[in-house]
Amino acid sequence: MNEPPAPRAERPARDGEARALAFVADLSQALAVSLDLRRTLTEAVNRIVEFMAAEAASLFLLDRVPGERGSGERGPGERDGGELVCRLCVGPLDLTGLRLAVGQGVVGRAVAENACQIVTDAASDPRVHRAVDAASGFVTRSLLCAPLATANGPIGALEVVNRRGGGAFDADDARILRLLAAPTALAINNARMAAERVEQQRLRREFELARRMQKALLPARRRDAFPLLAVNVPAHEISGDFYDHFDLPDGRIGFFIGDVSGKGLDAALLMVRAASLLRWAGKEGRAPGEWLARVNDELCETRLDGRFVCALAGYCDRVGRAVHLASAGFPPALLHRDGHFHDHAAGGPPLGIIAGLAYDEHTIALDGGTLYCYSDGVSDVRDAQRRTIGAEGVRTLITRYAALAPEPRLRALLGDLKRQHLVDDTTLLLIGAPTEAGLLLRRQLPAQPQRMAMLRADLRAALDAAGIDASLRERLVLAVDEACCNVIRHAYAGRADGDLDVCVRRDDDGLVFEIGDHAPPVDPAGLRAGALGECRAGGLGLALIGEVMDEWTLAPRADGRGNCLSMRKRMPASGDDDDDEAHTEEQDA
Amino acid sequence: MTTNGIERATAGDVALVVLRGEVDLSWSQQVRRAILDAMAGGGHVGVVLSEVSYIDSSGIAALVEGFQAARANGGSFALVAVSDAVRAVLELARLDRVFPIVADAADVPVCRR
Repeated sequence: MNEPPAPRAERPARDGEARALAFVADLSQALAVSLDLRRTLTEAVNRIVEFMAAEAASLFLLDRVPGERGSGERGPGERDGGELVCRLCVGPLDLTGLRLAVGQGVVGRAVAENACQIVTDAASDPRVHRAVDAASGFVTRSLLCAPLATANGPIGALEVVNRRGGGAFDADDARILRLLAAPTALAINNARMAAERVEQQRLRREFELARRMQKALLPARRRDAFPLLAVNVPAHEISGDFYDHFDLPDGRIGFFIGDVSGKGLDAALLMVRAASLLRWAGKEGRAPGEWLARVNDELCETRLDGRFVCALAGYCDRVGRAVHLASAGFPPALLHRDGHFHDHAAGGPPLGIIAGLAYDEHTIALDGGTLYCYSDGVSDVRDAQRRTIGAEGVRTLITRYAALAPEPRLRALLGDLKRQHLVDDTTLLLIGAPTEAGLLLRRQLPAQPQRMAMLRADLRAALDAAGIDASLRERLVLAVDEACCNVIRHAYAGRADGDLDVCVRRDDDGLVFEIGDHAPPVDPAGLRAGALGECRAGGLGLALIGEVMDEWTLAPRADGRGNCLSMRKRMPASGDDDDDEAHTEEQDA
Repeated sequence: MTTNGIERATAGDVALVVLRGEVDLSWSQQVRRAILDAMAGGGHVGVVLSEVSYIDSSGIAALVEGFQAARANGGSFALVAVSDAVRAVLELARLDRVFPIVADAADVPVCRR
């Protein structure tokens, strides 16, 4: 635009490009700093009417398709089924509220083609939507319409009507209107995005409330001796997984764990329904197969739109001796005992598909083993190479932490899963004989130096699960190792058939480490720690124990056979579970 | 976890004993022997500990013995590239200021200090 358009007598307001640019700059600034977009837009369109020497102007915006509002997924460029609504008018013609289909009339065409439309003779131009004039009595002579363009396509159009004093709009006018439409589109788009952000924040709050509600539906921690432990980690705010347990009057414990197909709000709502039905049907104490059949029939009475529920339900006794269960399409329950795994797979199809089904039952004797039930979120965890770990990976993990007491074991398993990549809701439930309160690790092992590496690995896992930081953990591991080596070297004095009984527990004061042996009695008075810092081999082990632990005592074992070294590390009492995502139940003796 | 192991190497006049893994009672006697054997060469020994993730008092004792042997023979002895895990145990045993500790095999002193 090197050549300024010649000034025209009938349009004194527009006497050069400099003026136009000054006006655009002024308008842009007014729109950019506006706190009240509606008022600013009205003023802006009024000034545009003046500047363009038009009789009237109107602003049309694309309306969102009902139901899509606030979803944030529909870009302004996706106009299928979209309508243009007149939001603002200046001049004698008030079209506010008028709706036009995209492509309809001059405005609709400007949006559909994302291009300026110039109409020099409205009476004869086929693009003009004539119903307006017919209804209002206003005579449209000429029109100029520019789309409100954004990076995602037009969001509406700005139209000026009838040049004052007659004559038609020309290509220069079109260029100027396009210039004026740009800051207008930007301001409207920004305001819309801000509104969407507010809406998204509101939705996030809603989801957070739903998440808390769901978490509150999980059973409360049990403080009594309890054979059952479970944890649920939602992949997103809300979970399609669930578990629950309850006491029956006859002393048995009823439990179930489940997984609703799909994710999102609808799955979460179905989860609430399925969990309620399972609890209700299970409290009557009916056999597990009948229990699942009853819930299946109930769920089949309502339309689930192709959704279904995988679940496993059953009973166990209070000492974790045997489990009686049935499965509805849930991954096999896995019994781990003495280093061996046994799958318990059979059952029936998922709940909510066909009514009138029967479900096979199993009775599983635990015999000191642990039964693991897990949703497929556990086996779907991805390793460093983004491969699912599968049932084999789950077994590897269980084996890795098998030495730990149930509660730290569940934490260690969960911690390991979380260090990998969780892709789905993850729920893990284990059943076994209840252990004493605060027990972290109990291991019996031959008193041989080559066994120490494995013991140290178990100790590290147990201390990690108890939330002990790495540097303290290493010192504690060293102290236990030194204590065991002293037993091996001195108490057993080279005998290869000795054994060690290592027990780690947490109490209100901190951590207690006990190392029992069956060696000849050791006189505590004969034990001397070497001085630290002394460059002398020998006596260092006991000195290190003294440095790491707050106190230690050596006494005969309770049954009089062998010695027991008890070491204590005092620690401030910690919160039970600082991991907000994990709802872990603890068992106490 | 690194597999336990001992390697011998030389850097100029210094005999290096490179240890890997968790040094504990199950093989600390081998470590002790390797250090004393290295001492038999010229008397200048560096024990490389960068790949050692754990050491117990029997491992520390092997280092102490090597250090004392070097002092007795007029040789030199240093710990080289000490890992954080080993350093933590040395500090706990108050031995971090007793052993000469150097960052690199080239820094092992070749005359008695």
